[in-house]
Amino acid sequence: MSSISSRRLSKELMEIKNDGCPVGINLVQADDFSTWLFTLEVMGESLYKNEQFTLQFRFDEQYPISSPAVQFVVTDGRQAPIHPHVYSNGHICASILGNEWSPVLSVIAVCVTLQSMLASCKKKQRPVDNDRYVKHAPENPKKTRFHYDDDTV
Amino acid sequence: MISSNLAQSFNRLRVERFGAFCLCPSTMSSDAAPAPPPPPPAVAADADTSSSNPGSDPNPSQNPPVEHPTQITEDTDISTLSAAQIYELNQNLLDLTSDVQRPLIAALTPISELRAEYENGSPAFVKQIDYLQSQGYSSIRRTRGDGDCFYRSVAFAYVENLLHASDPELAVASALSTLEETQGMLESIGYERMVFEDFYEVLDELVKNVIAPDVSGRTLTEETLLEAFQNPEKSNSIVVYLRMLTSAQIKLDPESFTDFLFHPETGEPLEIRDFCEQLVDATGKEADHVQMTALTKILRINVDVAYLDGRGSNGQVEFVKFEWAEAATPICLLYRPGHYDILVGPKR
Repeated sequence: MSSISSRRLSKELMEIKNDGCPVGINLVQADDFSTWLFTLEVMGESLYKNEQFTLQFRFDEQYPISSPAVQFVVTDGRQAPIHPHVYSNGHICASILGNEWSPVLSVIAVCVTLQSMLASCKKKQRPVDNDRYVKHAPENPKKTRFHYDDDTV
Repeated sequence: MISSNLAQSFNRLRVERFGAFCLCPSTMSSDAAPAPPPPPPAVAADADTSSSNPGSDPNPSQNPPVEHPTQITEDTDISTLSAAQIYELNQNLLDLTSDVQRPLIAALTPISELRAEYENGSPAFVKQIDYLQSQGYSSIRRTRGDGDCFYRSVAFAYVENLLHASDPELAVASALSTLEETQGMLESIGYERMVFEDFYEVLDELVKNVIAPDVSGRTLTEETLLEAFQNPEKSNSIVVYLRMLTSAQIKLDPESFTDFLFHPETGEPLEIRDFCEQLVDATGKEADHVQMTALTKILRINVDVAYLDGRGSNGQVEFVKFEWAEAATPICLLYRPGHYDILVGPKR
């Protein structure tokens, strides 16, 4: 029997191929069920106008029971958006990627959430603890225990 | 085992629409989280999370002073704690000390084993365990303390009740018709089929297997039922489905629930959507009265919960009953602060 993650991801992939992604989001790589890449742009007026970012999803065999590891790609000249919840190593502090992950969410739902997180940003800056965090951060953002509190940005 | 500094709270959730993002003082609005002061925004959690202390910051001047509330130890009388403290304590315990040694759900053990664990500890608990024994409750089936224990216990006992039904054919048919209906209910509140069908199938297969042979030609037994529930993928799939059903019932019947939707820690009222996202859909979040009511109602089952909390007078144990089926054998659960196990009652 195929794993729960491959069953679910093949359905998500089929839906993306049939219906397309929401505006500003594009699937660039989904060759297997372990790593997917998307490009992300914020449409309309925002602090990120004309900027394009790359989002990486990594899945384990328990997806969607366990959350995907999601981060912005910061290699090959690509950069993470400058945002109070995005660290310069690409890690993102958002509760839905951590203790509020729920299997009712999907890859596209995460993309849309992050897109809207950027769209509503009022000031481009790194998290205040960026340097300290990036120095000690684990490779996989799922190993970080973030403290979520701020719903205003 | 209950020793956790309440300052180690990672659960101060303030969420709107898409979920919360991390605390960054420079961008905090005036109404954000007044108290108590939070630990530093991000703590890299390695394998030994429990030893890292979020309160010890190398640059304390950059952070507000950290309050140190009462240290709760094994000797702390649970009854002196507020509901919020108990919730926080439990959730921290679940988050920080994931109980991976214990199987997701275990074979039956005599209740005397539980009694032995309290003999050197709490006389009030021992008295209550004796009371349960005197009422014919002879054994328990333990579940892992991972925040899913209520859902997992109910699911296991739900299928087990079908196995032991006097007319299994009828019991299974009735369960299947209820379960099948729930798929339509999920769709009616906007869940995509893709999101729930894989989880549904696991439960559906198991229920059907009570009377119909599976691919290997066998019908379900106590042993294979336990195996299924000890298999993380199957077990957690079923838990996820029951969480979805719980959310669905709350959303479909808002009048019954809106007055009772509070964040168990902050006590703040929550909108239905926020309550479901934060406290039902997210795995590992414990169930409380609202979730229990909703799940038992949508499944049309009876659940009796024995509250082993050291508070009962004369060592008696209070049972809280959720009753949504006529003349059906209730599922019995044993509640100890923050945890549910299956309790095996006098009828077997």
